[in-house]
Amino acid sequence: MDQPIAAEGIERAITAFVSERVKAEVPVGQDLFDSGLVSSMFAMELVVHLEQEFSVQILGDDLKRDNFRSIGAMTALVGRLLGAGQSADA
Amino acid sequence: MPEPLAGARELVDDLVGDRAAEWDRAGLIPDDVLRTLAARGLLCAGVPETFGGLGASSAANGEFTAHVGSRCSSLRSVMTSQGMAAWTIQRLGGPRQHAEYLPKLAGGRLAAIAFSEPEAGSDLSAMTTTIEPEGETVIVRGQKVWTTAAHYADVIVVVGRYGSGAAAVVVPASAPGVTVRRVPRPSGCRAAGHADVHLDDVRLPTSAVLGGGQPLMLLVTTALAYGRISVAWGCVGILRACLDAAGGHARIRRQFGKPLAQHQLVGRHLADLLTAEQIASRVCEHASRCWDSGSPDMVVATVLAKQVSAVQAARGAATAVQVLGSAAAREGHVVERAYRDAKLMELIEGSTEICQLILADHAVSMSTSAS
Repeated sequence: MDQPIAAEGIERAITAFVSERVKAEVPVGQDLFDSGLVSSMFAMELVVHLEQEFSVQILGDDLKRDNFRSIGAMTALVGRLLGAGQSADA
Repeated sequence: MPEPLAGARELVDDLVGDRAAEWDRAGLIPDDVLRTLAARGLLCAGVPETFGGLGASSAANGEFTAHVGSRCSSLRSVMTSQGMAAWTIQRLGGPRQHAEYLPKLAGGRLAAIAFSEPEAGSDLSAMTTTIEPEGETVIVRGQKVWTTAAHYADVIVVVGRYGSGAAAVVVPASAPGVTVRRVPRPSGCRAAGHADVHLDDVRLPTSAVLGGGQPLMLLVTTALAYGRISVAWGCVGILRACLDAAGGHARIRRQFGKPLAQHQLVGRHLADLLTAEQIASRVCEHASRCWDSGSPDMVVATVLAKQVSAVQAARGAATAVQVLGSAAAREGHVVERAYRDAKLMELIEGSTEICQLILADHAVSMSTSAS
């Protein structure tokens, strides 16, 4: 039951980071690539930030562009990685 | 030096000795030197212990990289390639690929990573090498140029187009269809084994594909990050070698009845060299701290470190040449090598101008004023 609350917290934290970094309010669904907000440098910053902030590892196939397309997509990615961490030891 | 790299500098000093000039002239580092360092995991010391690596921090590995760079930039350059290949496998690979490849790279195998193509240098987005799925296999086709350490490598990590995005693929140098041809007499890091790599319908198992579907430039940025921090530290090493040589020469060599160091115009050169070495050291330390703390600032700090260190090294090496005069004006002298090697560092892993463009872009994106 606490999954939606966790997702809300994740979303808020990611929104804060992205908005601070691009110096603009960024809606959750906004496409960061199409709007030109995200360069490949910033995309990598996002990867490193999410890893540090949420203690997850974003490797291999998870580095797909779609996972970073919007704040909503990143929230889903982090939620999935956190869930996966709880259910599997390896 | 922290534990994982204990004794590493002494080993390098022992292996290199006074032979760096000879390697430079011959354009070759002896195989046993590379194999000895590779077997101890020292060419990619950042590989985690869980994969058989030394698990060195970026700061510790950086200082070690600088030490190697002060002795022989060709060897340091091979180390940069091996580390970049390992880092790319670590970032893009899945758990099975980590287990398959990383212990080998940390345990004696040699690796290179191939980005540049005849028509894709600074503009890597123009890359045309393809990695195409075909049943249970993939076919790799393309031509890579200036692949550092490819001459020595057992495996070459090749970056190419994959579907609508990009992937990297681990290619054994012995695979049918792979041709490695050395770049004849490169101007710097002459013994680093630069080579052109032809990939003529190279068929590999799908399991050799790392990642897949990432945007090409995100993949390139990720892979290059390690190369940039490594080159940056290597440039610190170049500056330390130049500072040492210039300082020693200026103390002993006498002209006009006094040591060179007491001539003010020479003194300024020495001050400039010391300043350059300190500036480069501080930016590299900062970038490595960002790596070690997992800060997103590591991305830009790494580009800054590469940019600053390469420019300072090229300038510093030229200054050292000036101080040593005819004493260093012979092929293979530490300062003469530094002069050639440092200039090459301004061209690779993002030229000075490409790094400046990235930094300019960052400056714009960070600006809060909207006038």
